[in-house]
Amino acid sequence: MSDISSKDFQFIDINTIQAERITAPRYSYWASVFRVFFRKKINIVLITLFIILIVSTFVIPAFAPYRPYENITDAKTFNLSPGKAMDYFGGFSFKWIFGTGQMGNSIFYGIMASARTSLVLAVICAAINMTIGIILGAVWGYSKKFDAVMLVIYNIIANVPYILVISVLVYIIGAGFWSFIFALTITGWLGIAYFFRTQVLIIRDREYSLASRCLGTPIPRMISKNILPFLTSVIVTLLATELPSYIGMEVFLSYIGVGLSAEVPSLGRMIQEAQASFLIYPWEFWPPVAIAAAITIILYVLGQNLADASDPRTHM
Amino acid sequence: MKRYMLKRILFSIFSLLVVVATVMLLVYTLIERSVIFQMDDVWNKKNANDRTAYEYVQYQKFGYLEYNDYASFLKTKYEALYGADYTKNEDFKADLAAIQDENTYLENASVQEFIAENEANGYKQTYLQPVRSSAGKVKKGGNAYLLAVRELSPFVRLWKYITHLITIETTNDVKDETLTDRYIRVEKDPYSGLFAVVGSGTTHKYLLYFDGRFPFIHQNFLHLNLGTSFTKYRGSEITQVISTPTGNQIKTETQYPAQIGTDQYVTTAIDFHTLRYNPNPRNAKEMEQYPDQYTAYSYKIGGLSMIENSFVAGIIATIIAYLLGLPLGIMMARHKDGLFDKIGNGYIIFIMAVPALAYIFIFASIGTSLFGLPYKFANAQVKALAYFLPIISLALPHMGSLMKWMRRYMIDQMNSDYVKFARAEGLSEGEIFRKHISKNAMIYLVHGIPANILGCLTGAIITERVYAMPGVGNLLTAAINGHDNGIIVAVTVFYTSLSIISVILGDLLLAKYDPRISLSSSKGGGR
Repeated sequence: MSDISSKDFQFIDINTIQAERITAPRYSYWASVFRVFFRKKINIVLITLFIILIVSTFVIPAFAPYRPYENITDAKTFNLSPGKAMDYFGGFSFKWIFGTGQMGNSIFYGIMASARTSLVLAVICAAINMTIGIILGAVWGYSKKFDAVMLVIYNIIANVPYILVISVLVYIIGAGFWSFIFALTITGWLGIAYFFRTQVLIIRDREYSLASRCLGTPIPRMISKNILPFLTSVIVTLLATELPSYIGMEVFLSYIGVGLSAEVPSLGRMIQEAQASFLIYPWEFWPPVAIAAAITIILYVLGQNLADASDPRTHM
Repeated sequence: MKRYMLKRILFSIFSLLVVVATVMLLVYTLIERSVIFQMDDVWNKKNANDRTAYEYVQYQKFGYLEYNDYASFLKTKYEALYGADYTKNEDFKADLAAIQDENTYLENASVQEFIAENEANGYKQTYLQPVRSSAGKVKKGGNAYLLAVRELSPFVRLWKYITHLITIETTNDVKDETLTDRYIRVEKDPYSGLFAVVGSGTTHKYLLYFDGRFPFIHQNFLHLNLGTSFTKYRGSEITQVISTPTGNQIKTETQYPAQIGTDQYVTTAIDFHTLRYNPNPRNAKEMEQYPDQYTAYSYKIGGLSMIENSFVAGIIATIIAYLLGLPLGIMMARHKDGLFDKIGNGYIIFIMAVPALAYIFIFASIGTSLFGLPYKFANAQVKALAYFLPIISLALPHMGSLMKWMRRYMIDQMNSDYVKFARAEGLSEGEIFRKHISKNAMIYLVHGIPANILGCLTGAIITERVYAMPGVGNLLTAAINGHDNGIIVAVTVFYTSLSIISVILGDLLLAKYDPRISLSSSKGGGR
């Protein structure tokens, strides 16, 4: 052992700024979420597909508006298969790539305009229902007084079949785009709120929440800082099932005759109109079905994967 | 526990009442009532006052209001005075014609009596003035009407509905003073060879009897009247509509009640168990055939009723879904991230994400083109084969959802301490999965079983529509499209009661399956 002299040492002043620094690697929640999310190749493929889909459903109807009655006077254009339609209208054209419908309408333009309706509808409904559902669900789970009142309301409303509520409401207030959204959202948030209430209940009584409460944190801040961040992955999972469900709901309701009105192009209406003769004119039936299925599957898978990525336990 | 159940049941009845009241309020007040005439040919053919009068008739039928008609008021008044040929009476004719002059009708004594009597009862008089052309002649359908109208308040309507919901047959049902021998007793039933409860003075003759038709024992003591259809099944009670078989008549060799013991046999489809009291006097032929006034009957009809159709298809599909879905879910969890799990997940995503309508049509087109199965119900050569595609269409999505949840709960349980302990004790993986994890995972699924079984009674909307299956699934949508308020309310009550019952049964089953769960002491925040 060599000699250690005092020359080997030097005095260092206390540096308060340095002392505060944490040497752990910087962690950003959302950056990690997207890092994990894009690690999966399938997500990149799906996102690309989805962007193409969105762009085409918004751009194509803007440049080539869907006019269902443009050939109504020419009965020869009705129910033409893609090949015959292109022959009839003179050569290859994207417009007739899926043939014509019952009134000589272009199926391709039809599904593009309808897909836009479905996407807008799904986003608006999901936004309204999720916002109301999550906020009310958080308060519902947090406040015991509110819980007692809401449980009674929930037990009554939840007993009425959802389909009954929607169809009676559409029947009453008419079948326009906005009234349809109203019917889908008037009780739609309740299920989300109830689900969320249960999640909040579980977290409400955890120790760190208890500590916060003891320190006098007000309820809104408790909800927004202590509880909601913990439930991000739950919210994304919900979104992943909610968004496609509205597209399916519209298709279903249009099929049973309580959907959107005839002026609004919609996938449900197209499927409903083509289903009676789907064995004879398959080109009228399968394209709207396929586009509805494609949108819902893409949204569902992307949502599920985003939900997986938003769980901090996968960020290792 | 008893107190808890009582509380639950009372609350369920309360919430059912609230639901019925809400739906009635929605349907009767928010919807413009004239929509019921949109597709009414009779209304289209009528003109002027005739049309308005017809509207009142229909509004009363649909339960919007009550009204009295001046003509029928005169009928009762003069019938009491002059008997059956009152129409020839001059006073009657004068009174009837009095309202045709809008200037002088109020001076008529009968009119004044009519108005006074009805206003005392809360009715408001409505006078439809004669509609005349410029020449002064009454136009077609323009005859004057005098009515007294009373709007039905929502509470009265609700009260009427609830009090008529269940009717019990008693020996005082028949309003006939000459019938003195009134009884309910057990007799030997000549048609089944067993015993039957037979009534006299009741609406039905046989109150409890056995026969060869499912569910083999039938009763007429209690009748459930959920509501009456107005447009679609004109005037029929909805409970009758959904439970009456839809097949052909079945003819059997049998005997009329009065001829039992003789050698007179007839081949007929009449079902003598359904005999009802008929107030009209028996004719000579009926005198020979029937010993009493119970001469109204229904026929024996084969095939399944609407609700049986839905239930048969639904219950088979549910059983298939559970039998396949649960083991598949367990296998997916066991081979997590393996090939089997991946295929299973693909299937689940497909079923969960794609709209139901789309995959049902996919099944339909595969089934018809590849396997030659019948597509539409009515066109099926062999009736049993027609159930094939609906059952598959119902079973596959249900199976997907069961797989998804079973897999999820299995995986959640796999890291529990009891699993590690079982492994440490040296149990084989198969044993652990079969006997320990799956049992615990089932706890979460047990609750939904009653709902799935009872849910079969409500039918399936899309499946039944696609395959044109005569089931109950489309009652509600058909009622909404046909503005049939009676059915809308009836179906609401039916669906709501089923969902309430299934939640209660689910809770009971859960408590039975998992002894750790106690229903009555659920005071903590948890469930």
